[in-house]
Amino acid sequence: MTHDWLWLIPALPLLGSLLCALQHAQVLRGRATNPDLQPGIGAGATAIAAMAAAFGLCLRGFGDIGGETELLQSSSWAWIPGGGGLDIQVAMVLDRLSGAMALVVTGVGLLIHVYAAGYMRGDAGYAKFFAFLNLFVTMMLVLILSGNMVGTFVGWEGVGLCSYLLIGFWYDRDGGSPGHAAQKAFVVNRIGDASFLLGMFLLFTTFGTLDYASLIEGIRAAAMGGENSGTLALAALLLFGGACGKSAQFPLFTWLPDAMAGPTPVSALIHAATMVTSGIYLVIRLNPLFAASEVALFLVAAIGAATALIAGSAALRQRDLKGILAYSTVSQLGYMFLALGSGAWVAALFHVITHAFFKALLFLGAGSVIHGMHEEKDVHKMGGLRRHMPRTFITFTCGAAALSGLPLLSGFFSKDEILAHTFAVGGAWWLLWGVGVFTAALTAFYSWRMVALVFFGEERFDAATVHPHESPPIMTVPLMVLAALSLLGGIIGLPAVFHVPHLLGEWLDPVVRTGNEILEHRSGGHLPHLSHTMEWILLGLGSAIALGCAHLGFHRNKNGLATEEAFESDHPKLHGALSDAWGIDRAYYAGVVTPVRVLAAFVAVFIDAFCVDGTIDAMADTAKRAGTRLKAFADGQVASYGLWMGGGAAVIALLWALGGN
Amino acid sequence: MVNLLFYAAALVAVLTAAGVVLARNPVVSVVSLLSCFGSLAVIYLLAGFQFLAAIQILVYGGAIMVLFLFVVMLLNLGGLSPEAEDRDDPLFHDRRRSAGGLAVAVALGSASLIGILRGARHLTEPTNGFVLPAEGYDALPALAEAMFTRYSLPFEAASVLLLATTVGVMVLAKRQRSAPPAGEERP
Amino acid sequence: MSVPTEHLLALAAILFAIGVAGFFTRRNLIVVLMSIELMLNAANLTLVAGSRLHSSTGAVQVDGPILVIFIIAVAAVEAAVGLALVIALYRQKQTVSLDAFARLED
Repeated sequence: MTHDWLWLIPALPLLGSLLCALQHAQVLRGRATNPDLQPGIGAGATAIAAMAAAFGLCLRGFGDIGGETELLQSSSWAWIPGGGGLDIQVAMVLDRLSGAMALVVTGVGLLIHVYAAGYMRGDAGYAKFFAFLNLFVTMMLVLILSGNMVGTFVGWEGVGLCSYLLIGFWYDRDGGSPGHAAQKAFVVNRIGDASFLLGMFLLFTTFGTLDYASLIEGIRAAAMGGENSGTLALAALLLFGGACGKSAQFPLFTWLPDAMAGPTPVSALIHAATMVTSGIYLVIRLNPLFAASEVALFLVAAIGAATALIAGSAALRQRDLKGILAYSTVSQLGYMFLALGSGAWVAALFHVITHAFFKALLFLGAGSVIHGMHEEKDVHKMGGLRRHMPRTFITFTCGAAALSGLPLLSGFFSKDEILAHTFAVGGAWWLLWGVGVFTAALTAFYSWRMVALVFFGEERFDAATVHPHESPPIMTVPLMVLAALSLLGGIIGLPAVFHVPHLLGEWLDPVVRTGNEILEHRSGGHLPHLSHTMEWILLGLGSAIALGCAHLGFHRNKNGLATEEAFESDHPKLHGALSDAWGIDRAYYAGVVTPVRVLAAFVAVFIDAFCVDGTIDAMADTAKRAGTRLKAFADGQVASYGLWMGGGAAVIALLWALGGN
Repeated sequence: MVNLLFYAAALVAVLTAAGVVLARNPVVSVVSLLSCFGSLAVIYLLAGFQFLAAIQILVYGGAIMVLFLFVVMLLNLGGLSPEAEDRDDPLFHDRRRSAGGLAVAVALGSASLIGILRGARHLTEPTNGFVLPAEGYDALPALAEAMFTRYSLPFEAASVLLLATTVGVMVLAKRQRSAPPAGEERP
Repeated sequence: MSVPTEHLLALAAILFAIGVAGFFTRRNLIVVLMSIELMLNAANLTLVAGSRLHSSTGAVQVDGPILVIFIIAVAAVEAAVGLALVIALYRQKQTVSLDAFARLED
């Protein structure tokens, strides 16, 4: 049975996008006569309606699966029909994994759209913004719902494009730095995309299909039979390379902090809640492929842990509010990859979901703060804002609490599940567990440092010019909804020691079963498992670290900048390294960007302007000079033309007279 | 004696032909050409073509050359036109093109001569000299019979051509009194 | 007359070359037309020479003289048309110098 209405899920936001684009075109046309014309609220309403409809459809589909129906599938569209060879049938598939992801994307996306309708009010590109945002959701849903890798890749590229468009949305502000950030994001993502493509090609040549269902079957057979292990590992690593680009993992994470140049709802939706998690989605989708290779798993885990540590430490010393959140996002994505590398597929998705809640909340809260502070982003110039914007303060604090993993909040459960799994794998993973625990401590510290600097202490802004104010309800209501989700979202994945069912684990079981079977097969029949005592110990340790570091981070900063400045003057080198994210971006500039620019200048001046243009110019010049010379022959005198004819006749006559007999 | 007459006529023909090309005054050219045609008529007569000699004089000398002379007189080209006088050499093209023309003429002429001399040994000259029939080689009855039997189609074609020419020439040379001035600029 | 055929042909070749020379070197359109007449007469002379050779080595043939007659007719046509054109051109530019007629240049 086919469910063609599944096509509507991505089609509705696409329709919304087109309508918003038309509206923007109309505004542009109107501005020709009236330069101050402001776009109406209609675009936002259209976009929100499209999102709500898509969310409703996702809910319906989500309700339909489970029980007997394992997945819903639309009829397929033969995109590249081919007999035997490359045969690409695009279909929308809603299974337990894509259903959960789609629900998060449309749900959180709906809230962010509502928020954005308030946040972007009065912006000249209001309708354009919603056109891009809806297009992004379309592409994200295509990425998630596609039944084969090619469709996913289309969505993968589409969200990259929308990310580029939205990061550079204010391309003319700040001396054009958003435009530069957009290019950077695009180019760095491209490196990952190339890797994704190669991985896809490798899978196709190995298994002859790119359909997820048959691909997983083929991988399962190969992994159980122990064939093609090298190829599988290589394919896993190539796809992980793609995931590294999109999900901002070391060494390709440098674009994400710069991407904060986009409007804050964009940061919340694309660069925290949804697009950056598509790498995790891809790995979970192809979990048997990764499960089949110990090397790939370890590398995924190690990269994840390293990213978590690097970005988590960099977040300690950021002064830009959105910069803190950006590094925090990179760090949390690192956690998710650590989970994947430990075989904890469910924990990874659990963290994706909770992170979507609390990080979207934090970004939107930060947007509310920045909005109220007249576009001020430096936390050193804030302080004491809890009195001016109480609703933002309370919701933001909820988000920070969830992020730092305070006991019983959503972030606590998801993070501890990851760390517990990593600990349980053992061996080299113990080291990664240590890194994870340390990063958890850093997370708690920087979260509460941020809260303290923004909302507590004396007011460090110039009260004469800046009048902080609470945002309108259209912005604070989504914050409240997200705050509730951040606090309670942990319910879907309570640990086993609570003796309640792990809802998400049971839900996802059919998706990850194959991967777990392969893991079990490789390890000789038993999956890593922790005793209840050990789990209690780890939970207690996690709570203690989170509470302790949160306390430390809060109390050292609640009274102003004294400790910050002391640290800066005591450890200038460490401060520099941390605020610069260990100089990785600068190393890129020195090692890659500058040489490429020099090479580009060389190509532009020498190869292009001198060699290529020179050759063409010389050819044109030769033709022109030859023409000038030949023009003399066509002087218009009939006698001259006759002369040439006579000359030819004379030559022929002479040849005839002299040759032969 | 007869041969001598031929060579004399040939010499006159070459000299008068050169006169056509070299004369400053077009009237002199016309008269030279007329003399050239006359000497050619003599040569035709000597070669045994009485009828051809006759029409050479009648048609060429009497009709065509008179036409030329008529046009020269009509356009009053006895002297040179005023703007032509300003040129370095009003008669001939500039030196380069004249040299080219001469070279082509010499090349064609020498190629023909070389061809004739090299081909001469293949000619089968009559062993006992050229026997000239009393009525010549172009006896009128034979000519007329061929003209109206085997050559009737070319004959008719030539008559149509002459008719068309008569009409065409009248159209071309007619003074266009009523035609608009722009029409004269039309190429 | 026992002049060998090649002498007749040589005379024709010389006349033809003179005609070519006049055609290419003279500026005066009327003289150019006369040069063409000269070349046509050279061609006639070759026909006469050939016909004489054929007729005296075998039966008399009239093809050569007939072709000459046709050529004379066509030459008359050509002269008439050419001279009519000269008159028409002279009306435009008041000259018969070829330099004045270089419209093909553009």
